[in-house]
Amino acid sequence: MENRSGPQGLSMSFRVKRAVVDISLLALGVVFEIVSRHSAELKAEIADWEDGRVFSLGVLPEGPAISLKKERDRIRYLGKGFKNPGLKILFKNLDCALLPFTGQMGSHTAFAQHRAIVHGNVGKGMQVSRAMNIVQTYLMPGFILKKNFKKPPRLTPGQLLLKGWVMAYLVIAILLNIRK
Amino acid sequence: MIPEYYEFSCPVKIISGLKALSNLAFEMDLLGVHRALIVTDQGVVSAGLIKQVESAFEGSNCEIGAIFDQTPPDSSKKIVNKVANLFQEKKCDCFVAVGGGSSMDTAKCANMIVTEGSDDLMKFQGAERLKSPMKPFIAVPTTAGTGSEVTMAAVIYDDEANVKLSFTSYRLLPDVAILDPKMTMTMPARITAATAMDALTHAIEAYYCLQKNPVSDSFSLAAIKLIMDNLLKCIEKPGDEGARLAVANGALLAGISFSNSMVGVVHSLAHGCGGVCRVPHGVANAILLPWGMENNLEKAGEIIAELAPVLGASTSGSKMDQAKAAIQAVRDLGKRLKDLCGLPTTLKDAGVTEDKLEDIAKAVINDGTVTFNPEDVTYEVALEILKKAY
Repeated sequence: MENRSGPQGLSMSFRVKRAVVDISLLALGVVFEIVSRHSAELKAEIADWEDGRVFSLGVLPEGPAISLKKERDRIRYLGKGFKNPGLKILFKNLDCALLPFTGQMGSHTAFAQHRAIVHGNVGKGMQVSRAMNIVQTYLMPGFILKKNFKKPPRLTPGQLLLKGWVMAYLVIAILLNIRK
Repeated sequence: MIPEYYEFSCPVKIISGLKALSNLAFEMDLLGVHRALIVTDQGVVSAGLIKQVESAFEGSNCEIGAIFDQTPPDSSKKIVNKVANLFQEKKCDCFVAVGGGSSMDTAKCANMIVTEGSDDLMKFQGAERLKSPMKPFIAVPTTAGTGSEVTMAAVIYDDEANVKLSFTSYRLLPDVAILDPKMTMTMPARITAATAMDALTHAIEAYYCLQKNPVSDSFSLAAIKLIMDNLLKCIEKPGDEGARLAVANGALLAGISFSNSMVGVVHSLAHGCGGVCRVPHGVANAILLPWGMENNLEKAGEIIAELAPVLGASTSGSKMDQAKAAIQAVRDLGKRLKDLCGLPTTLKDAGVTEDKLEDIAKAVINDGTVTFNPEDVTYEVALEILKKAY
């Protein structure tokens, strides 16, 4: 039988899943940065965070992952990988990560089903989780938000406009950050 | 309904009953260890309970390497490091925690330090960060509430950064839990009531929150029944060994349940009340439990209704009627405990001042347990519940 453990002999389906998670994380990272520049709600959420807080989202055991940093009143996407974060939100494997990234599951369900764990201070993990929910509001279509959020957000006209702009700019933003 | 996915683990050996403590040395021998560090507190010592532990070593091939009896109610990083140093200095090979949640959590964290060879607890914050097998650990609870003798969590205060550090790992589960009725017999009525209400909250929240599963459900139901049938007996007749042992078992079963199906908003609020106003955890849970259940009526009403029979509530009418009756049964129990031993039923009675409610609500939304609550818990929702409970 073919040995598929370890980095050798990865199947096509594994590579596809890894690529989907990789691009989803990149999208989340760049949208985090964009939304933090324009959303008053996200600005309020991160206002009390210490400046310089670095946090990562990733998949065990060795990625893919992204890192982000709180700088003044916004979040900066640092790029792929774990860049010395003080806090990590980790998915146990690619299948665990795929479920929320493809809109099949909300983040609270991922935690409740033991698919995601926090390494670091749980209080800070809760803050990042709330911020991520705000970002997802701009990244995910309404029917997915309705299914995955405990209380789906109602967007104001201004927020809808921002969402439209984020969706239109997303591909360019991903291309601009793909090598980071 | 079966959940689409769940995990469950409880490898703890449970020894419960009359003279169960006498088996301590035998269990140590089975674990291949012979020199224990006892971690306890002054309350346990002054109640004469450590003497009982010492006598359990008589005539055995095991010994006590040292006794640490200075565990405070909210243990800290400094205390944990002291305990770990004592363990190494006295060449102990296992931990025996005798006391409530604080002694057990201190022993769990000291075990982390000893096993991982580090004095920096911060490195292990969060979930599943421990990879090495820990030193053998035996838990002897002297309260019937926290369930820490069967849980995979520990909480310690960082006295330098002024933050709470929480740790979750299957490695933190004790090897053995010993429930001996004589160890809880000296608990005063009010503490008996508060700790049992903590256990009842564990069982009820674990039953209706998002991580519920068929295995944890069965533990919750058994726990609720034991507590409801025996708590008032313990208060009215403190020397009733059978009732004491039943409530201790209820607390243990509730501990197994919530270690595998996390609690929700009641605990988030109780943690906030404890952190901001120093309200004892069990007292806060007793006050907030009916309000927290009410908060989840819309999303979890049908599940809460299933608790009506074990809570001794009416099972007639619609599911919503039964859920409301279940909540009323919890409220009635709280009132009865207030009459019998002065357990507060409002936050005001527990010493919370109204100007602190906003600070508590701010703390609540950063508590990990809100994740598992069926209803979304925002700052506004938390504040609303606190005002009702005030």
